[in-house]
Amino acid sequence: MIDIQNMPAGLPGVAQRAAAACLAEVAGVTAVVIATVDGFDMASAFRGNQDAARIAAMASSISAISSMVAVEAGLGSFKSVTIGTDAGFAIVQAVPRQDVELVIHVIADGDAILAQAMHRVGVIAKLLAGAGA
Amino acid sequence: MKEYKLLITGTMGAGKTTAIRAISDIEPIVTDVVNHDSSVAKARTTVGLDYGMLSLDNGDRIRLFGTPGQARFDFLWEILARKALGLVILIDNSRPDPLADLAMFLDGFASQLARLPCVVGVGRLDTHPATTLDHYADALEARGMVFPILTVDVRQRADVVSLIDTLLGQIEAGMALDLP
Repeated sequence: MIDIQNMPAGLPGVAQRAAAACLAEVAGVTAVVIATVDGFDMASAFRGNQDAARIAAMASSISAISSMVAVEAGLGSFKSVTIGTDAGFAIVQAVPRQDVELVIHVIADGDAILAQAMHRVGVIAKLLAGAGA
Repeated sequence: MKEYKLLITGTMGAGKTTAIRAISDIEPIVTDVVNHDSSVAKARTTVGLDYGMLSLDNGDRIRLFGTPGQARFDFLWEILARKALGLVILIDNSRPDPLADLAMFLDGFASQLARLPCVVGVGRLDTHPATTLDHYADALEARGMVFPILTVDVRQRADVVSLIDTLLGQIEAGMALDLP
């Protein structure tokens, strides 16, 4: 289990507000999960029933495998990966921090605009990178 | 030349990454990250997969894949098990209930174990002897399963090679039975 007490003060709250705002303000977004790099959900917001713990674990795996692809290809540090599907897309974005590395996972349906979602995810990543430090 | 894909699974901290590193001819691909699970005293943990390659004297090659150990990554277990010819389950005998750990993996890989050979490797038995190999054999027998059960120190290449040899023996025996 994740020990929230050991998280930087204020970080879970900032993450939860950012997740909720992204879900409310970006058309087509159906799920936002902010997780530790080893797959524990710290904050989440959904439309409908979705499993935050499972999405967090998947985001962690995708991030880790993508990081290894980046290293093997000599492409530097992993930043993000976008998974396009016939019904929407998913974005996994790394949040580099010295104390606790995070991963943002956003899922969106066909109504979403990819560039808009990517921009918002980038804004959240920047916010979280500096929050509670 | 034959190529085998083998899957190594087991509990967090049982030594899956270490086992692959012990026998791989190449620098293993690992996807470990900082561990935030306060219930396990471990600095890093695999959240994606491990990969290594072992070449045998006869030219055959074994591709070794390691899974994450935590149940929350069970979606990867099924993916990584595809096309595997055999399964190694590593159990850490120092954990509170290693037989429950074994049960979790027997359940998690139930569909694969109906057709795949399997070997169970038990670590830290020397320092934590309360659960014996007989207990593991009984647990398997209760499910109608019979797999080799070996003690293993995953830091020792010879131990890991012994596990793999045992699994390959089962695989080849199965292939021989499949011949017309």
